[in-house]
Amino acid sequence: MNESFIATARFTYIKDRKWPSAAIDVHHVIVRQSNLKGLLVCLFAFGFSANGLYLFLVLDKSPFALLWSLLLSSSLLKLGIGKSVVKESVLIMPNFGVQLETHYRSGRISRHFVPVSKILKPLLLEHVSPVTCYWVLSLILLKEEELTPVFKELHLPLKMLVPIWKALCGSGSGDNVFSLHSTVEDHEQSV
Amino acid sequence: MAPERHRILMVSDFFYPNFGGVENHIYYLSQCLLELGHKVVVMTHAYGNRSGVRYMTGGLKVYYVPWRPFVMQNTLPTIYGTLPIVRTILIREQISLVHGHQAFSTLCHEALMHARTMGYKVVFTDHSLYGFSDVGSIHMNKVLQFTLADVTQAICVSHTSKENTVLRSGIPPEKVYMIPNAVDTAMFMPAEERPGGNEIVIVVISRLVYRKGADLLVEVIPEVCQLYPNVRFIVGGDGPKRVRLEEMREKHSLQDRVDMLGAVPHASVRSVLITGHIFLNSSLTEAFCIAILEAASCGLLTVSTRVGGVPEVLPDDMIVLAEPDPTDMVQSIKKAISLLPGIDPQAMHERMKKLYDWHDVAKRTEIVYDRALKCPNQPLLGRLSRYLSCGSWAGKLFCLVMTIDFLLWHLLKLWQPEEDIDKVPDFVIPTGETSSAFDQELDDQSSS
Repeated sequence: MNESFIATARFTYIKDRKWPSAAIDVHHVIVRQSNLKGLLVCLFAFGFSANGLYLFLVLDKSPFALLWSLLLSSSLLKLGIGKSVVKESVLIMPNFGVQLETHYRSGRISRHFVPVSKILKPLLLEHVSPVTCYWVLSLILLKEEELTPVFKELHLPLKMLVPIWKALCGSGSGDNVFSLHSTVEDHEQSV
Repeated sequence: MAPERHRILMVSDFFYPNFGGVENHIYYLSQCLLELGHKVVVMTHAYGNRSGVRYMTGGLKVYYVPWRPFVMQNTLPTIYGTLPIVRTILIREQISLVHGHQAFSTLCHEALMHARTMGYKVVFTDHSLYGFSDVGSIHMNKVLQFTLADVTQAICVSHTSKENTVLRSGIPPEKVYMIPNAVDTAMFMPAEERPGGNEIVIVVISRLVYRKGADLLVEVIPEVCQLYPNVRFIVGGDGPKRVRLEEMREKHSLQDRVDMLGAVPHASVRSVLITGHIFLNSSLTEAFCIAILEAASCGLLTVSTRVGGVPEVLPDDMIVLAEPDPTDMVQSIKKAISLLPGIDPQAMHERMKKLYDWHDVAKRTEIVYDRALKCPNQPLLGRLSRYLSCGSWAGKLFCLVMTIDFLLWHLLKLWQPEEDIDKVPDFVIPTGETSSAFDQELDDQSSS
């Protein structure tokens, strides 16, 4: 049963509940594919291949030029389309754990399960890069120095991250998972 | 009518964790503007591992953008490279005005240029004096001319600095305001008991570089030590000229009369100042000199070179001025020693509290912001005509740079429309009851 739905130009967020007990919270973010990007990638790949064939067949250049062009085209197709993300999902199983899934256009699915005992806190953070700044939902995990991003590939708008963050805050053992504000209060008291 | 709440972006290459006049100015001004109810965000480059978003006292948000500094803490100048991140920050923080600091900061110049391209009002504060004749100054002045050609308002920290900025950049003087720096008198308080005994302690705290007159100290210290057997020097600071001072100390056997402390953290400056009676400043150029304010706030009588904006800073009974010449400086120190019995550190501190206050600086800066925001907007063609007056070839080059910036901005608007950039909720550090208010703010953001 669909419980909520948010759509933007690039993403569609769907919140779902699974199984009759509706115990598992499922959050899907589906990428609205731009045909233009795929078309451009295919055009460039075709251009490289055609150039390699022309050099080999018409101009009698070395076959290595053709091999090199074909290699470049296949890499471009793999990076541009094969690695393209179709969907990312977060399955929240209260008192058990969180499963993070990434579905690629090639059919490959990458899954990462985080048991609830390892989750210290979900965080909404601002990530700053040399050219932009965006919100990131991450998990602080026990005995791990680096944050674990919930969404590996996608940069989602805040209005999609907030319900997922709240769902992560509200689930779990309750001892390990804190709200953002009580953590700030605890920090102030300890200082 | 309630005063208008501004949303200000302070931009400079120079900010915490660096310590200095510009850094302190930005920090204290930002804190006082926050207290006045405005929103202030600071943008600077990353310092080592300090990269990303940080929050400082009072909820001051700082963007440490991961652009590595390349020389003297300045970001590598790319002209257009910072356009995407500056645009993103301006939109997500809903900034109304951009305030750049320091002519030597490349990040400041680029951010002001991009802000003007995007139609924001910009204010520039110049903290230093520059020359006119050497190659470095000629280049810097041309860059300043470019930035100030289209700036909305400018601020200088002294009347001398204002004259210098107007002459270097050609900006109309009526656009330039003079707002001095201030000092945190709560932090710089005199000692409860003045250092007693027969000994007179002269304190020097500065970077030991040519510009700060370290070479003058090498000549002055032995002379004073010879004239006054009861005088002792404390020298705090580090730099390339430290070696010369060490050599002087060895040559004249002054190891027991000249203490070299090395680099003094800013938090420890007060504890060094209160051990002294006289503060000696030997700078060869200073737009303002916050150091003598700190010394006066701690109750020390100041001896300083008469350069730049220094004569404007302290009343005549708190400072003895000298030409930047060893003989004149020795005479001034003699005069200061004779004036010492009449100095009351507590009275000096109380006067400094009335004369210099960061809250006053913030209120005056607020007036500049109000006037800047009332200035009319001009289309690109009108603004380009201002750049043409910068020089026969430089003017055309500047116009080309601004035109390309304008085109790149429009391309960026197509690539990443403004609607795709999330606005940041105004974050106030929760005090228990306000956590539900923060949740409400996030809910409002997510539902919009």
